[in-house]
Amino acid sequence: MIEPQGSVAAMASPEAEALAPPPDHRQLFFGMMQVALSAFGGGLSAWSQRIIVEERRWMDNTSFLTGLTVARLFPGPNQINMAVYIGARFQGLSGALAALAGMLLVPFSLLMLVGLAYFSFRSLPLVDRLLAGVVTAAAGLALSMGFKILHQYQRDPVALLLALATFVAMGVFHIRLIPVVLVAGPLAMAWYWPRGAAGPGVDR
Amino acid sequence: MTDALLLVSTCTPKSLGDWANLLAVIRDFLSLSLFSLGGGNTLLSEYHHLSVSEYCWISSDQFADLYALAEAAPGPSSMLVGLLGMGAAWREGPGWALLSAVVAEIAILLPSTLLMVIAALSWNRFRDSPWRIAFERGLGPITLGILFAVGLKILHTADHGVPAYLVSIVVCLLTLRTKISPLWFMAIAGLLGGFGLINR
Repeated sequence: MIEPQGSVAAMASPEAEALAPPPDHRQLFFGMMQVALSAFGGGLSAWSQRIIVEERRWMDNTSFLTGLTVARLFPGPNQINMAVYIGARFQGLSGALAALAGMLLVPFSLLMLVGLAYFSFRSLPLVDRLLAGVVTAAAGLALSMGFKILHQYQRDPVALLLALATFVAMGVFHIRLIPVVLVAGPLAMAWYWPRGAAGPGVDR
Repeated sequence: MTDALLLVSTCTPKSLGDWANLLAVIRDFLSLSLFSLGGGNTLLSEYHHLSVSEYCWISSDQFADLYALAEAAPGPSSMLVGLLGMGAAWREGPGWALLSAVVAEIAILLPSTLLMVIAALSWNRFRDSPWRIAFERGLGPITLGILFAVGLKILHTADHGVPAYLVSIVVCLLTLRTKISPLWFMAIAGLLGGFGLINR
């Protein structure tokens, strides 16, 4: 295989031969489109790992997992952030946009069709009755979001207190998201600011 | 006097054909983008506030419908914003609705995308920074609290009556305890609704 742009990092790495040459914009676009299409039944994260790491060999698993960490840490939908991360790593801002477009094009177009159908037919009695049922299941999914990550904080009373205060501010007093985050965020960051090797929770 | 009263009691839909309004919408979604913690779901109650209470594009029931459709549709989460943008301009016709959908989606994704590009290119420089560690550990519990508040908000938006709440709670428990695809829950609940067992 011919390497279009000699990658210094790839040549220095012992696994250089295992990795494919850095993808160009077109490959980024179609690669992420393949991820989006494969994941139509769900499991986007697993599919993205399979296609990016195993099939196309754009990056090794360690880099992929680092990307996932960054994608989860920063604001924005995780899967979209991951596409942006991959695109940016290889082709900068324009690569990020190519990867993002590839990931969104088909699902977004489909959703637009769904939306057009919804707004056209929502007043039909049968459609309304079906949706009256579907929304209750969707609400159940929404309710499960908090419970899904609750176990991570079970042994940290300060975290639970912060979560409770945030919940009360938004759920009971109906304070808007931005002021809540702007007040609670810095307070929480101050509490969890790393102090030496002891780590948070140990120091008082 | 009566005008003021009307404005308080009923919500007057704002037209997106008005450029000032379109710009306001773009500004609102742009400024929310960087607050989408925990994968974006923390923004759901803000979306409800903007599209139902503040701009009156859609009713609360329609918001629940659109949330369910976005959840059921394949692809990454957060595309709900596209549907809200569509609802915002539906009165002006399908062409405007599509344009508004695309603009809203771009507005909600642009700031977080730009930040993510910076993060991807400079991660090694700040991976061990105390700011990064404090941000990750501190914002986690806050995200947790927000997700509970958002879950409750969606629950109250979607559910009317005892059968609806029962279905939601059962779905919540099954989601936490099993690996059944959420599409099954939506299909079964949709059938229950179709037979008139769940009303709103």
